[in-house]
Amino acid sequence: MIHLIIKRQDSPDSKPYTQEFLVPVTKNMNVVTALMEIKKNPVTKDGQMVNPVAWDCNCLEEVCGACTMRINGKARQACSALIADLEQPIRLEPLTKFPVMRDLIVDRSKMFEALKRLKAWVEIDGSFDVGRGPRLPRHKQEEVYPISKCMTCGCCLEVCPNFSKDSDFIGPAPIAQVKLFNTHPIGNMQKADRLEALKDKGGIASCGNAQNCVEACPKQIPLTDALGKLNREVNIFTLSRFFDF
Amino acid sequence: MKIIVVGGGAAGLMASLRIAEMKQEVELFSLVPVKRSHTGCAQGGINGALNTKGENDSTEQHFIDTVFGGDFLANQPPVKAMCEAAPKIIYALDRMGMMFTRTQEGLLDLRPFGGTKHRRTAFSSATTGQQLLNTLDEQVRRYEVQGLVKKREGWEFLSAILDDNGYCRGIVAQNILTMEIEAFQADAVILATGGLGMIYGRSTNGMTSTGTAASIVYQQGAYFANGEFIQIHPTALPGEDKRRLMSESARGDGGRIWTYRDGQPWYFLEEWYPAYGNLVPRDVAARAIFKVCNELGYKINGEDVVYLDLTHLDPKELDRKLGGIIEIYEKFIGEDPRKIPMRIFPSMHYSMGGLWTDYNHMTNIPGLFAAGECDYMYHGANRLGGNSLMSATYSGMVAGPNAVNFVNGLSERRYLKESTIEEYKQKEIEAFRKITKMDGSENPHVIHREMGDFMTEHVTIERYNDKLKETDNKLMDLEERWSRIKLNDNSKYANQNAMFIRNLKDMMKLARVITVGALARNESRGSHYKPDFPNRDDENWLKTTKAQYTPDGPVLSYEEVDTSLLAPRERRYDVNVNKKEGK
Amino acid sequence: MSQGDFLLRRLHSLTGVIPVGLFLLEHIFTISLAIFGAAYFNAATEFFGNIPVKGFIEIFFIAIPLIFHAGYGLYVALLSKNNVFTYSYFRNWTFFLQRITAYIAFVFIIWHVWALRFGGAGLGSVNTFEQLTQIMSDPCYFIIHIIGYLAVVFHFCNGLWGFLITWGITTGEKSQTISQVLCLSLGVLLAALGIVAVVMFKGGI
Repeated sequence: MIHLIIKRQDSPDSKPYTQEFLVPVTKNMNVVTALMEIKKNPVTKDGQMVNPVAWDCNCLEEVCGACTMRINGKARQACSALIADLEQPIRLEPLTKFPVMRDLIVDRSKMFEALKRLKAWVEIDGSFDVGRGPRLPRHKQEEVYPISKCMTCGCCLEVCPNFSKDSDFIGPAPIAQVKLFNTHPIGNMQKADRLEALKDKGGIASCGNAQNCVEACPKQIPLTDALGKLNREVNIFTLSRFFDF
Repeated sequence: MKIIVVGGGAAGLMASLRIAEMKQEVELFSLVPVKRSHTGCAQGGINGALNTKGENDSTEQHFIDTVFGGDFLANQPPVKAMCEAAPKIIYALDRMGMMFTRTQEGLLDLRPFGGTKHRRTAFSSATTGQQLLNTLDEQVRRYEVQGLVKKREGWEFLSAILDDNGYCRGIVAQNILTMEIEAFQADAVILATGGLGMIYGRSTNGMTSTGTAASIVYQQGAYFANGEFIQIHPTALPGEDKRRLMSESARGDGGRIWTYRDGQPWYFLEEWYPAYGNLVPRDVAARAIFKVCNELGYKINGEDVVYLDLTHLDPKELDRKLGGIIEIYEKFIGEDPRKIPMRIFPSMHYSMGGLWTDYNHMTNIPGLFAAGECDYMYHGANRLGGNSLMSATYSGMVAGPNAVNFVNGLSERRYLKESTIEEYKQKEIEAFRKITKMDGSENPHVIHREMGDFMTEHVTIERYNDKLKETDNKLMDLEERWSRIKLNDNSKYANQNAMFIRNLKDMMKLARVITVGALARNESRGSHYKPDFPNRDDENWLKTTKAQYTPDGPVLSYEEVDTSLLAPRERRYDVNVNKKEGK
Repeated sequence: MSQGDFLLRRLHSLTGVIPVGLFLLEHIFTISLAIFGAAYFNAATEFFGNIPVKGFIEIFFIAIPLIFHAGYGLYVALLSKNNVFTYSYFRNWTFFLQRITAYIAFVFIIWHVWALRFGGAGLGSVNTFEQLTQIMSDPCYFIIHIIGYLAVVFHFCNGLWGFLITWGITTGEKSQTISQVLCLSLGVLLAALGIVAVVMFKGGI
């Protein structure tokens, strides 16, 4: 049997509480399978029938980012958290830096709002045919491809000491996207707009170089590398604007 | 004018983008934040005859491969249009910033894929779907900022609203957190709600791929076409919670399938299909693996698996081109596929069938369009790898403007009664209220598991009429048991089990469409294989199945397939008969 | 001005190194002359004590930048939510220590300036080796100086590492690892120099 201790909350404004569950072990089991078992049969360790635990998930392949939660204190995806690798009892909690909706479900829309602020897209004339796209050297593609694997899961924000409900820092994941778009030959044409946006309150200057983000990223995105390069670009951009060269 | 798009995967986003480009308003509904849609799980690539490998590829050859791969069941004009648009779409995606893998001179690289002799699949390592999804998400966000697109993420589609003339004029949807049920008006509605893998319990699909939106409009009178054609992907990882896809690109980039026979590796695909080898289409590969494990009895350590072997390939190239799936295998299985061959088995993967639409992607309900995996248009009886991202993107690209044109073409301003809207809304509120009061003895998850197991056992690779009949009976039995379900969650907030119970009923309705369609079709074509009827029967069965809902079950009718561009011929992959005419 | 925050943060990073950091290096250089004997030290303090416009330099190149760096830095440090016990990565620890040493340095420097520059220790403005010997012979003064000094040195050297990132000089993992080794080595060197000097003031071990 697997022993789970789950931090629960019935709705956004209600008080959190914990409940313990015992779940039978299956082969190659992950945390999602355990939660599915609870959904099927929501009986606590003490034999009490309770409401099933609610959580977010979709792909179960660590691609969509939905099932991110704190597992034994660490922010990660529930689907790729294999029970065999976890110390028991397994503690499941919602992410702490985002508003809790119910049980393990949190609202991460803040991250998508940040992408709007940073103009995280390539401005093209339209999706119609204008012929072949621009060439891009392979090494440049390989440098930024990892950034485009970001699944907006929120791990990097959860672990960042400078990101919190009270701080206005938008966090590493959205910022790194700027490097992706500035590297693309067409996206580069709107580079100035994005760098300008990075200088706004809560932008890149709020990074404190704790570098937890790069340790916690499940996709091994070189976040600190992107932050470093963007620091350089923002500085040069600011100085060149100031001195008008 | 306002168009509602339901679904935020490749098709829904592309449709939204196109409508916004026409300066029309879009309200985009999605169960999940659109960036978490199931399109993200597509791995291998997106097909388009860019012809940048000096192989004399052409959109015509792409068309031939697709029709041939689909065993001639697809209507040919739309397939041709898609193949012609494909290179332009790929270039547009490139301009949008999609991070395609590059050649040494900075062009889009192309990889070999199943069912074709040309390199035609553009890709982003092994995460092409994710990159495509991200790119379209970014473009739509741009229009969101401009105010043309309004996103409603975390809403579940409950019903289409039809006016007195039977035109679709809006939807009823439920907020999956607050549980609030609301009606939304629009001039036209596009469903882009993806696949139905959850009907099979465990598949390569995500948890949101339940097919319920398609099932709901089917129950409202839309035809569901070719439901019996379910793609079984040959290479997936068995798992308790789901089957995880191991991309076809693994074979495209040199991976080989084998198992032990008499203590020696046996490369059965290469032996049986010398012309295409490991790159036979998915239906052929899946049947072969199934045969090896079940009929011939070659198992590995007693398990129904065969090897997908990458160990002979350069590890650096593997990381560059297949990093995404290698990571998945390492994380979930804990072995290094660069050193140890992967153990895989076929799994339910994709539905070729879907809502019947005309060539403009409109269903038989005027004003209701369908695009992406939830339509039936491009793949016939079997889909080629790399064509799903293309068909999803292309169909969204076509459906969006067609919806706008449809509304523009209406002769007079239509009137939708307030009472009609309220009626639809109240009906859903009442239905949900009933679910929250369900207090029987059955567990919805147990019923779901039974349905999934039955469907997987009897309505996948090999289909026998007696078993199909049994499955249909089972489904009716499960439906009856459904009414005796107990809801074990009395929460007023984010009540996931209540929503699941509602989904389950709709999944059952669609499961019957699949099963009954398969039962009726006494031939073997593409993914639909009946050992008792092993041959394709063009005389009787070169026709599209159209299922119509009745309370007593699906009623089937048939429609002729438009084969005006390429005459049907025998489909073989042991020799290469699949070439452009006159060559 | 929405970008005021950006400029203040950059100014904060800059002032930490120029001029505050440079002054610190000058200060440590002067103190470490004590290693060679009282005469060297006294000559150096006399030289620095007699440079022209000393008051102007002290106010505009030391006091104001230092007060800004300390004040704004305090505000920034208080915004962060430290989590070193959950995520015990090396750089999370240095991030945490950067803030802890900031608080220590904040208090220490105020006290140090009050005691040694403005006569809080009862000796007026302390300039000579002999005065320092008198002060350091008090174990409290001695220990507080050692602790405060180590905090300042860590804060400066680790801050220098962050400065190199903030200004886009070290961007990649490789350069940041190298700069971290160099900054920490500098820290060890400075710590050793300072401690030896303070011990010399005290009159040896």
